[in-house]
Amino acid sequence: MRMPEPDQAAIARRAEIALALRRILPAESVIEDGEARRAYESDGLTAYRQPPLVVALPSTTAEVAAVLRYCHENRLKVVPRGAGTSLSGGALPLADGVLLGMAKFNRVLDVDIANRAAVVQPGVTNLAISQAVAPAGFYYAPDPSSQIACTIGGNVAENSGGVHCLKYGMTGNNLLGLEMVLINGEVVRLGGRHLDAGGYDLMGVVTGSEGLLGVVTEVTVRILRRPSTQRALLLGFASCEDAGECVAKVIAAGIIPAGMEMMDKPAIHAAEDFVAAGYPRDAEALLIVELDGPVVEVDELIARVEQIAKACGSTSERVSRDEAERQRFWAGRKAAFPAVGRISPDYYCMDGTIPRRRLPEVLAKMQAMSRACGLRVANVFHAGDGNLHPLILYDANKPGELETAEAFGADILRLCVAVGGVLTGEHGVGVEKRDLMGEMFNETDLAQQERLKCAFDSEGLLNPGKMFPVLHRCAELGRMHVSAGKLPFPELPRF
Amino acid sequence: MLTPLEPATAEELAAAVAAAEGPLELRGHGSKRDFGRPVQASQLLDLSRLSGVTLYEPDELVLSAGAGTPVAEIERLLTANGQILAFEPPDLGPLFGQEAGRGTLGGMIACNLAGPRRIKAGALRDYLLGATAVNGRGEIFKTGGRVMKNVTGYDLCKLLAGSFGTLAAIASATLKVLPAPEAVRTLMVRGLGDPAAMLLMSRAMVSAEDVSGAAHLPEAAARCLPHADVGTAVTLLRLEGTPRSVAQRLAMLAKELESPSEELGEIESTVLWRGLRNLLPFRGDHGAAIWRLSVPPTAGADVLRACGPVERCFYDWGGGLIWLTTAAEGDAGAARIRAALSASGGHATLVRAPIAIRASAEVFQPQEPALAALTRRVKESFDPLGRFNPGRMYAGA
Amino acid sequence: MQTNFTLAQLADADTAQSEKILRTCVHCGFCTATCPTYLLTGDELDGPRGRIYLIKDMLEGGRAASATVAKHIDRCLSCLACMTTCPSGVHYMHLVDHARKHIAQTFRRPVGDRFLRKLLAVLLPRPALFRGALRLARLARPFARSMPGRLGAMTRLAPAALPASSPVDRPQVFPAEGARQKRVALLSGCVQTVLRPGINEATIRLLNRHGVEVVVAAGAGCCGALTHHLGEEAPALASAKRNIGAWWREIEGQGLDAIVINASGCGTMVKDYGFLLREDRDWAVKAAKVAGLAKDITEILDEIGLRPTSSDGPRRVAYHSACSMQHGQRLDALPRRLIASAGFELCEIPEGHLCCGSAGSYSILEPGFAGQLKTRKLANIARAKAEVMVAGNIGCLEHLAGGLDLPMIHTAELLDWATGGPKPAALTSAAG
Repeated sequence: MRMPEPDQAAIARRAEIALALRRILPAESVIEDGEARRAYESDGLTAYRQPPLVVALPSTTAEVAAVLRYCHENRLKVVPRGAGTSLSGGALPLADGVLLGMAKFNRVLDVDIANRAAVVQPGVTNLAISQAVAPAGFYYAPDPSSQIACTIGGNVAENSGGVHCLKYGMTGNNLLGLEMVLINGEVVRLGGRHLDAGGYDLMGVVTGSEGLLGVVTEVTVRILRRPSTQRALLLGFASCEDAGECVAKVIAAGIIPAGMEMMDKPAIHAAEDFVAAGYPRDAEALLIVELDGPVVEVDELIARVEQIAKACGSTSERVSRDEAERQRFWAGRKAAFPAVGRISPDYYCMDGTIPRRRLPEVLAKMQAMSRACGLRVANVFHAGDGNLHPLILYDANKPGELETAEAFGADILRLCVAVGGVLTGEHGVGVEKRDLMGEMFNETDLAQQERLKCAFDSEGLLNPGKMFPVLHRCAELGRMHVSAGKLPFPELPRF
Repeated sequence: MLTPLEPATAEELAAAVAAAEGPLELRGHGSKRDFGRPVQASQLLDLSRLSGVTLYEPDELVLSAGAGTPVAEIERLLTANGQILAFEPPDLGPLFGQEAGRGTLGGMIACNLAGPRRIKAGALRDYLLGATAVNGRGEIFKTGGRVMKNVTGYDLCKLLAGSFGTLAAIASATLKVLPAPEAVRTLMVRGLGDPAAMLLMSRAMVSAEDVSGAAHLPEAAARCLPHADVGTAVTLLRLEGTPRSVAQRLAMLAKELESPSEELGEIESTVLWRGLRNLLPFRGDHGAAIWRLSVPPTAGADVLRACGPVERCFYDWGGGLIWLTTAAEGDAGAARIRAALSASGGHATLVRAPIAIRASAEVFQPQEPALAALTRRVKESFDPLGRFNPGRMYAGA
Repeated sequence: MQTNFTLAQLADADTAQSEKILRTCVHCGFCTATCPTYLLTGDELDGPRGRIYLIKDMLEGGRAASATVAKHIDRCLSCLACMTTCPSGVHYMHLVDHARKHIAQTFRRPVGDRFLRKLLAVLLPRPALFRGALRLARLARPFARSMPGRLGAMTRLAPAALPASSPVDRPQVFPAEGARQKRVALLSGCVQTVLRPGINEATIRLLNRHGVEVVVAAGAGCCGALTHHLGEEAPALASAKRNIGAWWREIEGQGLDAIVINASGCGTMVKDYGFLLREDRDWAVKAAKVAGLAKDITEILDEIGLRPTSSDGPRRVAYHSACSMQHGQRLDALPRRLIASAGFELCEIPEGHLCCGSAGSYSILEPGFAGQLKTRKLANIARAKAEVMVAGNIGCLEHLAGGLDLPMIHTAELLDWATGGPKPAALTSAAG
């Protein structure tokens, strides 16, 4: 995976740039020292590292606008960063780019229960939003596994999902409004506390735009009343086929659980070693099904799901008896990714989506690939919506293993697309899957997306090198016509 | 006007657009052709032949169809399988003097309308998983896919929804579908003034009873309901789910609300909410101008009062959606209605009015300069030559 | 994470240990969620993940510590909230301890800083010297404003009234009341004996009443945490050995069932003695044994079973869970359970996982951050709407004292009173 060649002229001007930024921000908020910059060189995808040109830590919308205006005027690249927990390299810095850290924007501004809305700054963590509205019996539904640390601004950039998005949707389905700063420093407000935003759904396209269209400085989210009951079932199966069949039958029965997760044996063991939730160690596949809503409905549905599971050959069934137990059922699943860090020095977390019914076939093919390349793989799967998280275990200190892991990962994603799925369900394209975009989109598809980018950022200064495999200049895109699959402007960089 | 273009495949659509010499008016069945600013087109692009359901997998909750497929056909197919379009798309045809039951998938997407269940289930844009469309250059592009969890590339589907045919001509689309609720009941409270109704609906929405419809019909609008007394307003709350669950929640909600209430049964409820979805209170009123306001729910009554005199009106989305009618003269009340939004925020859309008014008054909420400029640039990125419904949403876009 | 150490570097025991720790970090960033300094600055370098990265970079490079590293490591409270949050089991405490040692050895601090640290390292662990210094400080108070920066701040921190030293802190045996269930040693500590000797008095009464014979071992003194956290490894290990020696005599003499510690900061240190002396051929075994015997006062009481009596007075208790208690020793539910079993109503303090800013000598060395965290903690305690606040650590009590119109006492003092002992002075002077 190659990043764009850094602009040496920009790097040569580092001191001058830092000085200019210190006229906008307090001195402490501009980080220039090499050792300090290196600590920012990666996000959650540690395979790729690049220390930024300079780190800027603004704390107001006005400061963000001023910083972006300065960068725009001086043709400097900008990489926005929340908590830096991205698993796709979305917050990977550029050696010639300003890293714009948004972690100082950590205040909850308003909780408006009557309108079921909360207005927060983008650096507020996902979980902190739920905590802020908890006293009123409310919560913020999308719950990515990193919710303790990931920021809502980052969630917007990646359109993060989580276990409960099966029933409650992803970030984009739970946003009411955004304030965003464009690369030229203009501030736009999209939506608000009203339900329909009006005009083009710019908020919809900015969600999941991975920091390429603008920098979000305020977020209005939809909050929901906590369901009166939440209960979870822990279902063990002797095979992934059986578990997959159970999932299909539950949906076919007209039941949409709040969450439906599957883990395979290696994942079960890793998680169980970390939090003793009582996962059945002998099961080949584990289904964690959560049902929420009014008590009488949940009780009814739990019974129905248990019945369906038994009909599909479940080997064990446990229902949570209280809230503490329900949390314990989930704790292992939610910490599954880093818990795998206990059984392997490094892991590579993949993220693809497939039509649910193709899961057994995909798992079987992955096992074959695993045997062929000699790297273990543990699987965590959002069974309800087909989003798959294979965790490829490797050791970066062993030469060649990182490359093998990446190749294995790419093959998995190609397989996902081949069976009718997509490259990424919730982690984003970032740098990780950038070079695979061609598996899903042809040149015309990509050109249309890049033209949209030009409407927001014609100089291509926001997060370049992410998401798209070819850097087109906007003027070129305007005149570009792809004919017979041949790409014009062959001299433009392709990674 | 030149002869209409009637492509039957995405390739024919692309060719037609590429070869077009002037602006095109995009049309499915034309049920909402009068929704938006008037379009000066030299040719009609008729998409109705791009019809037919191409994929339907109930246990994967997914359906794909050509953009010209009648919505009625899709809904019939879903009903037969115990499933629904959860966002309850309104049938606006009759409002515009057309037959009921018309309207295509493409048109439904282009208008991004949603019915009462939006407060719980979301709008159409939350159910559009993927699309194949043709941009203003005559190029076919696809976006999204057939799975729910998809963040690969920009979510252009969100842009297409509610773009009123100004960005691209949709050839086919993939929707997420959901199981139909097993049972439905309605709690009806009579005689509340608008402010009291806002409070009641807010309390219902904030409760744990999982309300999936909250509407308030002031006295004049309430006359359209068969069981309403003349002279009283009616506030309606819908509950859906398994039969026992609905029964219990209804009882709990009635107790929580502390206002005397009545229960409407399954059939009555189904008919009622379908009627509200299709703007029953405005049935028969063919002359008036119709406005649709989206506001923070608790501000509904205040905004309506600030609008000044209106002919008929009712609230949906717990107060967050106001439908109202004004006399179809002058600016149809545009100035004062938009001024009424200044305190609360939100937007107002002139859904129906004579062509002359739609040409002069802004149909869609005017935008701040930075946003307006961005909107124009986004339009240009899809349709640089202004082929598609030019001026349908904003002058010059 | 991938690491790049040479074999030569890994020959050093400390480096080898730190390399193992670094490999367990997957850079997921969960730790930033609960780090108090990251919360205050939003700067990755003031969070555990960034600090881990700085330490890794420094050790791999075989470099002397730079001002940047020293600044951000100095700002670390060692509250260990990150360890509680980390899903991968990164032993941050041992890593940052190594870094502090490396900084102390290789970084040339500004002279004022060096002087202050030396002063703290010499004074605080020695009760007699500390007491003398505090008396001097009391006299110097009127001139505090004209004294340089932190020295002036420290002078103002000196309490107006110093309690007299308590006879219980001299080596002796306190027999159990009634049948003897256990025999334990009590770590008297250092600053605690000067600032709040009542805590040890209450602890001994409490234990005696429950059938526990308590010995204050001759030769035992400061646990070494203060110097250890300043990166001064030699005096820290010397303190540890002295304590281990003192308790070993008791172990080989009349025997010990446990070594009871009533300051959670010290408890964390003593429980780590086994690790700290793991490479020392002469002391490793004894250190491990001693570490295994170390128990917080609440742990011992939980084992024995509390015998509460009824009493009048405040019932609503806000339990301040000190970092060294909840994160360092992983004791959170147990003390709360104990307090509840004595008939008190526990009031939840919001953001209970966040450090109060005391962190040993941190409140003196990093007054800015310590002050911000103190303000935040006091506001949270106020929200609990309790009648009394209890904590199991002297540092927190001293740091927060006087910040609210609320009595703040030690858990042992509360439980002593609840089982028949005298009502703590702070409670009698409070209204109601």
